[in-house]
Amino acid sequence: MASEKFVIPIGPQHPALKEPGHFEFNVDGEIVTDASVRLGYVHRGIEKGAETRNFVQAEYLVERICGICSHVHATAFCLGVERLAGVEAPPRAQAIRQIVAELERIHSHLLWVGVAAHEAGFDTLFMYTWRDRETVMNLLEGITGNRVNYSANVLGGVKCDIGPEQAEAIQIGLNFLEERTRHYLEVVSSDAMFLRRTRGIGVMTREDAERMGVVGPTARASGVPRDVRIDAPYLLYAEHPVELVIEEAGDLEARFKVRVRELFESYRVIRELLTALPEGELTARIPRRIKPAETISRVEAPRGELFYFIKSNGTDSAERVKVRTPTLPNMASVLALSVGHQLADVPMILAGIDPCFSCNDRMAVVKRNGDEQVWTWEQLRQYGIEYYR
Amino acid sequence: METDTCLQKAAELLAPWAQETIEPEPGRVDVAVAPGDLVAAARALMDARWGYLTAITGLDPGEEDGRLEALYHFACGAAIVTLRVRVPRTRPAVPSLIDVIPSVSFYERELMEMFGIVVEGTPNTDRLFLPEDWPDGIYPLRKDFRMEQLGG
Amino acid sequence: MTLKLDQSWQAALDKLKTWARINSPWAIHFNSGSCNGCDIEILATLTPRYDVERLGIKLQGSPRHADVLICTGPVTRQARDRLVRIYEQMPEPKFVIAVGSCALSGGAFRGCYNILGGVDQVIPVDVYVPGCPPRPEAIIDGVVKLLAKLRGADPSDTPVVFDPDSAGEAAILAGEDPVEGPAHAQQEEEAIA
Ligand code: SF4
Repeated sequence: MASEKFVIPIGPQHPALKEPGHFEFNVDGEIVTDASVRLGYVHRGIEKGAETRNFVQAEYLVERICGICSHVHATAFCLGVERLAGVEAPPRAQAIRQIVAELERIHSHLLWVGVAAHEAGFDTLFMYTWRDRETVMNLLEGITGNRVNYSANVLGGVKCDIGPEQAEAIQIGLNFLEERTRHYLEVVSSDAMFLRRTRGIGVMTREDAERMGVVGPTARASGVPRDVRIDAPYLLYAEHPVELVIEEAGDLEARFKVRVRELFESYRVIRELLTALPEGELTARIPRRIKPAETISRVEAPRGELFYFIKSNGTDSAERVKVRTPTLPNMASVLALSVGHQLADVPMILAGIDPCFSCNDRMAVVKRNGDEQVWTWEQLRQYGIEYYR
Repeated sequence: METDTCLQKAAELLAPWAQETIEPEPGRVDVAVAPGDLVAAARALMDARWGYLTAITGLDPGEEDGRLEALYHFACGAAIVTLRVRVPRTRPAVPSLIDVIPSVSFYERELMEMFGIVVEGTPNTDRLFLPEDWPDGIYPLRKDFRMEQLGG
Repeated sequence: MTLKLDQSWQAALDKLKTWARINSPWAIHFNSGSCNGCDIEILATLTPRYDVERLGIKLQGSPRHADVLICTGPVTRQARDRLVRIYEQMPEPKFVIAVGSCALSGGAFRGCYNILGGVDQVIPVDVYVPGCPPRPEAIIDGVVKLLAKLRGADPSDTPVVFDPDSAGEAAILAGEDPVEGPAHAQQEEEAIA
């Protein structure tokens, strides 16, 4: 057959998970030769929406940018607005924000380990991690009253306290999780079948990672020491720091290990904070109107650096809210990484950066640069026969 | 302390192109550059291995101002340097950074479709976020955007 | 259908189909613009704590195999056509459950420029499950209500109350019919035999 490209469109609908995205992979046999992506299926226009709502309403809106890392979005926004207003949240509120943020990281990483294991065809691990994840969900619900989109933040502080009983419950929960996490670390670094799907797959060298500007665990798995909690401490991360978790290999295995090992750091920091929880108020008063200024607020979301740019104009709503989520820079790396790999590895590589796509909606209509090719199943079959002749 | 040295170094690197340099808040430096100097300025930072590009923010200061702004934020540790490029509203165009920073494509596509700032020389100008049937020439993050412009 | 059956056989066949459908509804999930919050809660219903698969409810990938479409999120302009297409690909009869405030009305995103509104602006919806996000129990409750509806009973007569801490939840779901009692399926089997 001539050098005709075969394009496999994947998405936006897919069986198990989260965000829809539409990918097109050019393949030669089973090997991916080119990849492109079309996002925007869940583009809702939040940045504009945040301009038309007042600061208090906008906080609830940005919290709903992502249901998995809702707390970090709200935290980044609150920190930014508080800085614009010249107000600082009381220490106890900051500690609680940090505890919730780390609990959220635990929930998100466990979720990811499960989902990525599912992509690898390792559903047992998926079920185990999700069972254990329910422990964190209980803790989050205990503190804030909701399992997801907890709204722990308000402008100027937090709305919920952590009492001795909850602290106790958190300790018990963490003990259980720590035990389990040790097991997971062993699984992801020693299970022979699993390693076949992860070791040496989707390798991103340190140079590549730096060049492509990837962030978060994806970067750290390639040996790039980049973590906002350490580089630019916010909340109480300066007083109660986390240690940098880093792996050099840059493959999927390293991405698993980084995330699992980060869990231990989260457990440790939460314990530390619980024993040293500052006394005092939960909120500080914040003015309704905020004088014109611009600020940047960065926090480390479970998937990497989350960037907020907020501009106020003297009214009670923002002039501009710019959000750059960690998935955007990481997504670019996926496209580059998939080239040269087996198509079957692509879901794993995608999952490696944690946007988690498992995809199967394959249709026979391919659109590219305006010209439309329609392949019937018969043609596809014939093509397959010809190709392997 | 380290942050300050970082910022100082950046300010020195950018000095040849800086039209105006301000410090809006601790840990940040804001450098205004002409659109034509953007690539050179970014290259200076990258060649010196000064941090990485974290985001591009588009800004619309309002119609009376007659301009649009593109803010290129670079981060190195806790230090953030912003290259501020102002372009006329009537013919908004900035050069692409693709030769300096290969991963910039998504950011530039976003800037194009949200603000209608033409990024000259960027390899892919397809839409990234907005739907296919979105009317041409309507940019949702500009201040003069109205829902009625979408029709139906 | 080319097959011609006399009336009593047709009735029996219909009963069989309803029985099969109610015993093991297959669902497909589509996110038309949600924040993921609802989606992870749907996923949570599959995992060991809630484990709806033990009740025959299966989430799977292709719309061609699905009886129930579970929708989350407001409908974005970009996702509208895909939502309609997936709905159209499903075989008749098909049912739609809208999960979460967003899918009901647009929720927090109402008024944003890329949002058309709730799912029922685009396709017909049978069951609405409110919450932001709804708890997994509420999602299961939504499925149970749909099943009750399929049987032709009015679910509002006999509200299903979930107490996550008691065994009641499991009992209700483990085949004991919340509407007509556990003997129902058996009767149907007899009717077919
Ligand atoms: S209802 Fe709430 S949790 Fe569900 S998609 Fe909407 S914002 Fe997210």
